[in-house]
Amino acid sequence: MTTPQISIRNLCVDYITADGDVRAVNDVSFDIGKGEVFGLAGESGCGKSTIAFALMRLHKPPAFISAGEVYFADENGKMNDIMQLSDGEMTVFRWSQMSMVFQSAMNALNPVIPIVDQFTDVIMRHTDKNKYEAVKRAEQLLQIVDIHPNRLSDYPHQFSGGMRQRLVIAIALALNPKLIIMDEPTTALDVVVQREILQKIYALKEEFGFSILFITHDLSLMVEFSDRIGIMYSGQLIEVASAQDILKNPYHPYTHGLGSSFPSLTGPKAALIGIPGNPLNLLDIPTGCRFQARCPRVEEVCRTTANPLRQIEANHMSNCHLAVAGEAIKFVELETA
Amino acid sequence: MGFFLRRLSFYFIALLFAATLNFIIPRAMPGDPVTMMFANATVQVTPERIAAMKELLGFVDGPLIVQFGMYIKSVLTWDLGVSVQFYPLSVNTVLGNAVGWSLFLAGSAVLLSFTLGSVLGIFAAWTRGSKFDAIISPGMLVFQAVPQVVTAMLLMFVFAVGLQWFPTGYAYSPGLTPDWTSWEFLKNVAYHAVLPLIGASIVQIGGFLIAMRNNMINLLGEDYITMAKGKGLSENRVVFNYAARNAMLPSVTALSMSLGMAIGGQMIIEIIFNYPGLGTVLLNAINARDYQVLQGQLLVMTLFMLFFNLLADMLYVLLDPRLRKGA
Repeated sequence: MTTPQISIRNLCVDYITADGDVRAVNDVSFDIGKGEVFGLAGESGCGKSTIAFALMRLHKPPAFISAGEVYFADENGKMNDIMQLSDGEMTVFRWSQMSMVFQSAMNALNPVIPIVDQFTDVIMRHTDKNKYEAVKRAEQLLQIVDIHPNRLSDYPHQFSGGMRQRLVIAIALALNPKLIIMDEPTTALDVVVQREILQKIYALKEEFGFSILFITHDLSLMVEFSDRIGIMYSGQLIEVASAQDILKNPYHPYTHGLGSSFPSLTGPKAALIGIPGNPLNLLDIPTGCRFQARCPRVEEVCRTTANPLRQIEANHMSNCHLAVAGEAIKFVELETA
Repeated sequence: MGFFLRRLSFYFIALLFAATLNFIIPRAMPGDPVTMMFANATVQVTPERIAAMKELLGFVDGPLIVQFGMYIKSVLTWDLGVSVQFYPLSVNTVLGNAVGWSLFLAGSAVLLSFTLGSVLGIFAAWTRGSKFDAIISPGMLVFQAVPQVVTAMLLMFVFAVGLQWFPTGYAYSPGLTPDWTSWEFLKNVAYHAVLPLIGASIVQIGGFLIAMRNNMINLLGEDYITMAKGKGLSENRVVFNYAARNAMLPSVTALSMSLGMAIGGQMIIEIIFNYPGLGTVLLNAINARDYQVLQGQLLVMTLFMLFFNLLADMLYVLLDPRLRKGA
């Protein structure tokens, strides 16, 4: 494998709470290749966004990164640990190397200053461009996302939701970053606009060649959009595989459960099963597998032994004790009546 | 511009309404100023003398509607009559002498406490939970909670009477003739204003500070603040252009309200420091039943209140693009 764009090793993020420290992200490691779209899926509160914020080092107290390294490839292909950067170096790194499209991009624009200033401040901060050149660049960016440049002096409230989302994407593109984190970029939008935005992002990725960390809980969307997918459960990465593989041949019962929770549009009718039980309380973590209480296949070993992520097949990792190469969990198919 | 005109006509109606109340209230009270003047007189007062006195002081007899007409006319022509207490000075002169001092004292106190309170509030919110925040925020609230009369007396006792660093009262040294072009006189005025200014400001800082701090803290959770940080912008730009800029909006209303109210006089401060402002005039007018002055002063207060409200409306539109229509 060639050098990845970003390489996350044993990342842990803790939250300090009144009842003790909670490890919201536990020992997560994965790579994202150059030009690759890596999807991160899982139910609410499983730590997806916490990872995104930790990568940008934007997490706020009571959250803090307690362990781990994040290596990021610079222009020369050298891997630097961004966790070791000083705060000053980090502000230079942010946006120029790694930018982010926020969960509710609808609210990601400052309502009281015109759009143009929200482009030029970041451009002028990171480059030697003067105001005039920065405005020129902003006009260019607006054209990239199909918004007429004469709207630059407008304020955010004068744009529709989809347009605001595109504006945020345009700002994220401003400095040609190598990695863009997209934290549920389309959650607040209806499906038509959603499709439009994702197609735009995909076209831009093809054109500029940046990598994407794509975070959503919409699994069907993710499968279409990503190259590889990581599934998270209660702060752990439990399965990583290619997008084609992960729902067809899941090795982890949780992934299987997620896959059974979505109807297929084209395939045969299948029972929507869902996953019984509730997400794990992070203050009360059992020994062994974190999914044991909800797992239909639970065995003695799951209750006693820790289960790190391990290679099952080439390009397929899972942390399930019971996973055996070539014996993925099969989906129950309903007879069509 | 349509917005401006609409606001302006709204405020004009509000003014007429306030003026009407201003007219009704004194007349709803039993007695009238002239009767009051003679109430304590030991000599026999003839109805003719009362009538003559009334005419002299500009009171109108006649049906209420006629009186009201005369009153509105006097309001619109800004002819507020003659002071009973300071006869033959006109109300205009009496108020005119005081309004400048009040504007100076109360206005600078409000501006000072707004600026200080807001800046401290911004830093308290930005460094929330720090020592600075833990000391300054409750500390300023304590000052706010102590009655103004206590802080003012303490200031006077310690710094004017005890240490004698500052004068005990009035706006300038007795014997000095006001001369606004003389540097000496200005310095003297500033010197006399120090204690009243501190006394008037210190109780207001807490309010502005807490409002600003709370607005800021609410805003710091907003996504656009996180995004601004994510963009790698300098801390100053994030704090001032993204957070404080937006957190200031509600404070602008509070500021204009305070300015409007302040013109009513920092009554307590003015009385304690014997400052020749509207507060002192108001107290004296009430004591002397000087209804003309009272009425005039209420009108001036109404006007300032309306003016600053209008100013806040305008500022708001300037600061918050979401309020601009048809832009």
